Amino acid sequence: MSVGQVAFTAPSGDAALLRRMSTIRLEGLGRRFGAAVAVDDVWLDVADGEFLVLLGPSGCGKSTLLRMIAGLLEPSAGRILLDGADITALPPQHRNLAMVFQSYALYPHLSVSRNIGFPLRARRRSKPEITAKVGEVAALLGLTDLLDRKPRQLSGGQRQRVALGRALVRDPGAFLMDEPLSNLDAALRATTRAELVELHRRLNATVVYVTHDQVEAMTMASRIVLLNEGRVEQAGPPGEVYDAPATVFAARFLGSPAMNLVDAAVTRDGRAHGPGIDLPLGLPDEAAFPERPVTLGVRPERLSIVPEDGAGLRGVVTAVENLGGEEVAHCLVGSSQVAVRGPRPLGARPGDRIGLTAAPAHLHLFDPVSGRRLTWQPAATTAPKE
Amino acid sequence: MRRIAGHVVLGALGLACVLPIYWLYAASLRRPGDVHDQSPLPWPLSLANYTDAFAKTDITGMLLNTTVIAAASAVGQLLIALFASYAMAAWRFRGHRVAHLLFVGTWLVPFQVTMLPNYTLLARLGLLETLAGVVVPTLCSALGVLLLREHLLNFPKELLEAARMDGRSSWTILWTVVVPVLRPVLAALGILLFINAWNEYFWPALVLQRSNAVIQLGIRSFMGTEGNDWGPLMATAGLASLPVLLLYLVLQRQIVNAFVRSGLK
Repeated sequence: MSVGQVAFTAPSGDAALLRRMSTIRLEGLGRRFGAAVAVDDVWLDVADGEFLVLLGPSGCGKSTLLRMIAGLLEPSAGRILLDGADITALPPQHRNLAMVFQSYALYPHLSVSRNIGFPLRARRRSKPEITAKVGEVAALLGLTDLLDRKPRQLSGGQRQRVALGRALVRDPGAFLMDEPLSNLDAALRATTRAELVELHRRLNATVVYVTHDQVEAMTMASRIVLLNEGRVEQAGPPGEVYDAPATVFAARFLGSPAMNLVDAAVTRDGRAHGPGIDLPLGLPDEAAFPERPVTLGVRPERLSIVPEDGAGLRGVVTAVENLGGEEVAHCLVGSSQVAVRGPRPLGARPGDRIGLTAAPAHLHLFDPVSGRRLTWQPAATTAPKE
Repeated sequence: MRRIAGHVVLGALGLACVLPIYWLYAASLRRPGDVHDQSPLPWPLSLANYTDAFAKTDITGMLLNTTVIAAASAVGQLLIALFASYAMAAWRFRGHRVAHLLFVGTWLVPFQVTMLPNYTLLARLGLLETLAGVVVPTLCSALGVLLLREHLLNFPKELLEAARMDGRSSWTILWTVVVPVLRPVLAALGILLFINAWNEYFWPALVLQRSNAVIQLGIRSFMGTEGNDWGPLMATAGLASLPVLLLYLVLQRQIVNAFVRSGLK
């Protein structure tokens, strides 16, 4: 199907698709493979109707976590609760959860309508009920004309819809999705993303969605859970995770280009100093600050180019990338690479000496050892606190 | 030029393969007096050898028995192979490696080694001289298990998981997902097993010493101490090969696939 054809029409069927949705709770969930720890002590509440995105690099344990919720993988530790009931030991077919797989996992020998109706036949629903339900879901997903086709006769986007239809048809308590868009081309991925968000809004479904794609996470999630090496690095709404990353890892993972992170030191005057760096941090000036090393973070789009004299950051432009509407200039500040992103033209050329500045509100401080975010708490103590 | 040479060589080899079969049918269609005739074309044609063979032995009964034996053996092997390979490929259970090695092991044991123990076992069970006696020891073939296991190991795991999420049990997944998807493989393997069972001579000869219940044994009834009755013998042999040849003509692609997949011949 072409990218322009946006489906998810037929809003008339919605009422029947609106239904009881569920909450999921993970209590200290863990999974080991031999000596390797894939998921380590994860505590998480997925609220009713929430679109929760498990985000992280490959190997961070997000798929393992999802498969444990699905029941396809036994946890080594912890409990899983669905609507308050412990389902840790329940086999997948009794969990009332539907899953959309990365490969779609359509049954190649069955037509689209039989693929969608498969979960209902497994539950021995009556033929008329199955036909009606399949028709309703097919209409919702714009698959009505394709019901007699076999999966191999469908495009990637259509297959993805059928997989979604198979999950929708059985009124599950929650949807589990394992990178369902990763096999689509970029343009189709963007439209399908918007459609999924729209579908979620309309059905008010509880969704746990796994992806390594930060754009998917930012655009679709009502809450992002960022995973790193099997642990929850940060959980929060996309805006919060982006604007106030809890750790250096979170700061690096979200954003393109990633957040600039340079080594600096906070001095008693409340400024960050380093090679090529002399930046006011905007801290209240009534106190004297204990000196300490920090990792200073600032997003590329929050930096602006200013004359070199007296600028907070001073460096040399090494390369300029043209992104069409925007440009990214890569600069060397001291020995650190710093990227600046802004509308084209930025007005910088390779070899230029430039100054950079950012509003104190857009500066992030991290502890260089633990990588955790530092916040200033004047009432509690006179030192920046971890 | 090299292409032509290749075709010539292949053509000659093909001819050499087909010639004995052609000669079998040619001889069976000669008049009873012409059986030792060396002319390449049988003329005049006669069905006398066939009527003779039908008159002297119960060809219809033998063909029926052989069909039953071959079908039962093929279906039995297929079912057992399906269950065993499904278990070995879909689950990691304690000892699955050992189970696999044992299957490989039994496959490596030559027939001549198991022949006598099987024979004594059949004698104790009172199955000698019965069709069941021919079938039962062949029901589990390591070959089938190993071949299907390879296919099931390559079976998309997500499909099995999707079926589980969709509410199927292991047993219903086998019949609603695995078997339909593997149908071409099962058909190919079934044909292979059927042909093997059909062509079996030695084991039926051992079990059915007093009767000629299967067609391959029926052939020997025309071999006597005073000489062989070549005409009806050729006719019976022709009839014995006919089902397999027909099967081959109809299911040529599947059979070639079966042999290629088995990597055996």
